[in-house]
Amino acid sequence: MEIRGKVLTVYPEKCTGCRLCELVCSVYHDGVSNAMRSRIRIVKWESEGVYVPMICQQCQDAPCMIVCPVKAISRDEELNRVMVNHDICIGCRSCVAICPFGAMGFNVIDRKNFKCDLCDGDPQCVRFCEVKAVDYVDAERISLDKKRAAAGKITAAQRQAIALELESR
Amino acid sequence: MALNRKIAYIDLSTGKIEIKPIPIEIRRKFLGGRGLDAYLLYNHTKKGIDPLGPENVLLVSGGLLTATLASATARTHVMAKSPLGGMIGSANMGGFFAPELAWAGFHHLVIKGKAEKPVYLWIHNGKIEIRDARNIWGKTVTETQWAIREELGDEEIKSMVIGPAGENLVRFANVMTGIKNSGGRTGMGAVMGSKNLKAIAVRGTMDIKIAHPKEALEYNKRFIDQITSAKVNQTQGTLGTPFIWGATNSWGGIRCRNFQYNQQLYCDEIEPEAIDEVCTQTVGPYHMASCFGCQVHCRAKYRIPSGPYKGVYDEGPEYTSQGAFCGEPDCRSIETLLVGNHLVNQFGLDNLETGSLIAWAMELYELGILTDKETEGLELRFGNDEALLEMVKRIAFRKGWLGDTLAEGGLIASERIGKNSFDYLIQVKGVSNLHSDERATPALALNVATASRGSDHLRSRPAIDLYHLPEPVLRKIYSTPVPYDGPLSSEHTEYVGKPWQVFWQENCYMAVDCLGICKYHTVFLGATLPNFEDWPKVIYYNTGLEFTPRELWDIAERCNMIERLFNLREGLKREDPYRGDMLNHRYFDEPTRRGAPDVVGRVIDREKFRKMIDEFYSYKGLDENGVPKPETLKRLGLENEPSHLL
Amino acid sequence: MAEEKEGLTTAEVLRKTRTYGQVRCHNPSCLGRLQPEPGADRVKCPVCGMEFRVTWIKSGFPRIRGPVWDVNVKIAEEAFQRKMKEEKKDGPQ
Repeated sequence: MEIRGKVLTVYPEKCTGCRLCELVCSVYHDGVSNAMRSRIRIVKWESEGVYVPMICQQCQDAPCMIVCPVKAISRDEELNRVMVNHDICIGCRSCVAICPFGAMGFNVIDRKNFKCDLCDGDPQCVRFCEVKAVDYVDAERISLDKKRAAAGKITAAQRQAIALELESR
Repeated sequence: MALNRKIAYIDLSTGKIEIKPIPIEIRRKFLGGRGLDAYLLYNHTKKGIDPLGPENVLLVSGGLLTATLASATARTHVMAKSPLGGMIGSANMGGFFAPELAWAGFHHLVIKGKAEKPVYLWIHNGKIEIRDARNIWGKTVTETQWAIREELGDEEIKSMVIGPAGENLVRFANVMTGIKNSGGRTGMGAVMGSKNLKAIAVRGTMDIKIAHPKEALEYNKRFIDQITSAKVNQTQGTLGTPFIWGATNSWGGIRCRNFQYNQQLYCDEIEPEAIDEVCTQTVGPYHMASCFGCQVHCRAKYRIPSGPYKGVYDEGPEYTSQGAFCGEPDCRSIETLLVGNHLVNQFGLDNLETGSLIAWAMELYELGILTDKETEGLELRFGNDEALLEMVKRIAFRKGWLGDTLAEGGLIASERIGKNSFDYLIQVKGVSNLHSDERATPALALNVATASRGSDHLRSRPAIDLYHLPEPVLRKIYSTPVPYDGPLSSEHTEYVGKPWQVFWQENCYMAVDCLGICKYHTVFLGATLPNFEDWPKVIYYNTGLEFTPRELWDIAERCNMIERLFNLREGLKREDPYRGDMLNHRYFDEPTRRGAPDVVGRVIDREKFRKMIDEFYSYKGLDENGVPKPETLKRLGLENEPSHLL
Repeated sequence: MAEEKEGLTTAEVLRKTRTYGQVRCHNPSCLGRLQPEPGADRVKCPVCGMEFRVTWIKSGFPRIRGPVWDVNVKIAEEAFQRKMKEEKKDGPQ
């Protein structure tokens, strides 16, 4: 079977907190600079230096899609994303309330909800993030990369253990 | 759009607030940021006012491009008459304050008068409110910011605050935002404190329309490539500014023991890599943070690894902290460096001024000019880490005779201490020098001597002078946008060609300060970075305003001249050791003793230095006394200042 | 004048001279390119004699960590003595 759809993935530890992604997102979609309009938001714990990019996970069983009373939200399997049809949307904000990630936004200027549309396959946040805190990769790669990173740690630990053992002999 | 961001006049004495648009003619003359602030300061203050009195005016601004898709438009500018030297007071900081201010609808704040009780400003989507700050008065820099967020119930609020040092009117108190972003020079925190203004809190969700969004995005992408491909920025992004200190100390360009030596020896524990190791151990492999929209990410995150402050989180230390807590007092402990950095961040003190003055006091103590009587038993010797950190606290809270005296800044302190203490004070226009030693680098010495806000490395330093760039490369940079066919030299020990470089850099730095861009995104440490040729496009795509490179140059020259006019009005005299374009005599009399063979044995040649100043003045259109010629003022359209247009 | 490399940006001109595996001598009058032996923890500048401690960012990417103090301090002291003698003969530099 053909593997379809890349996914937007986040590596929070790499985020430097610059918020350029928020800026390019709002300029790309709305032609304005306004972090409030951004589909991606950096949540910060400033006193500890922790920055976490928050985005729509494009869920398979998307709660927003299920809760929508007028069926304005649907899955686009081609790009593996969840989309809102604003011709149908009545602006009730049920989707905003139910999203477990806070990824569905509501824009108070235009009185419309908004969410990540993966920029039709060329996510601008990824394009502009120099430190690769957000990336756009084949779904299967994510777990593979994580496996490799974890395996690397285990082998490093093993090597250290062997070295220590040799030293202590 | 960026051009409809407003200016607000806030009178703290009367509570009156007035909001006005910024006319486009003003933009075309002064752009925004520091340039427009200089215009406002010159127009809204009278000669000879008390910098800590209600008649001083505090200006806070973002640049023309703040929060747009120009790169790294994070900078906030703060200006007032300086309580430190009585000249232009000006400080510039990164972080996230200015973009938030722009999203809240404002580019410029003009704060006058003095509140009766402690207050803070709350600026939210076009509205400004003066609020009671009695509950947060006395709090440290970060406590203040978190308390405001809690009081107003919004985690996204960004605030510019003062710590205890600003409240205590320490004449070199910072304004700060975030953990460590500091508007550090010339005591802007003391001016805030003198107005009973504890903080300015902002939150904005107003659109800034980008004139040509597609082009702005693509151009920004190009800019990023240019910025991240510069090797200096890559190093900066790994080690932060300590890498500059490390490399400079390696060849002997760092002040040690006040001004006795030009290199700190055997200081491996506070080398950039050593600091980096602590950051890695305490925070993790990815420990660099960025200001708004910046790819350089030069701000390190750390936790103090040992001692009484073990586990405390902070950011930095920048190279100014290495100068303040390592080189100048000749202390070599990383714990002292990280704790010292934490203390100045929490108290809201200018680390550079603090360290420099303590090192001066240490030299005076060792010479017997200060005694145990003045230090109240504190053994204020070089290399005494405990005494160093104790003095930081005494200064911030004006504790004891010496703490209170040093808190007044070098000029007043030298009068109080008396004897020949002034001879040892390394300052220009009342502002302490950076931790760098410029005796082997005449270009940098000229920069320090002529900087408008007093001794300073961010007003006109041709830092690339140290790279031995081939002459054609130098010529390419320094002969646009105005032609220059005079001499240029790759030799850092030379005097020829340097005045032009300093003049060019002065205009370059003014332009970025007007635009609200960080200096790491222009020709400061990297020769390949954007400058006059690149900015017209980025301004056009983001705001729709059209400028030629030459027009931007002219604006920068005009803004620099306004700062000069202010300083002249406040008493700047060319060779006045207190308020002139003049260096401490030790630059001319005491040869350097350490560092690379060619750096050793150097002094600045008095006669050649005088000639450099003459030449620099002639480029600026000043007469031999440093006063603008009438035709210069006419050329720059400043013949009718103050013109009270805004 | 001096525009041999017409048409190239400053970035392009400088990028052409970029080298890898080497570091520049910290002596600003020298700035010679030093190539430390792989894995070496010091490197001596063949031109000016200053010696530096080396750190490896990763294999093939050295960085100067700081001076080898004893060596460079001695060089500085000798230079200082020499210059002060010359100054006595010829007046200030």
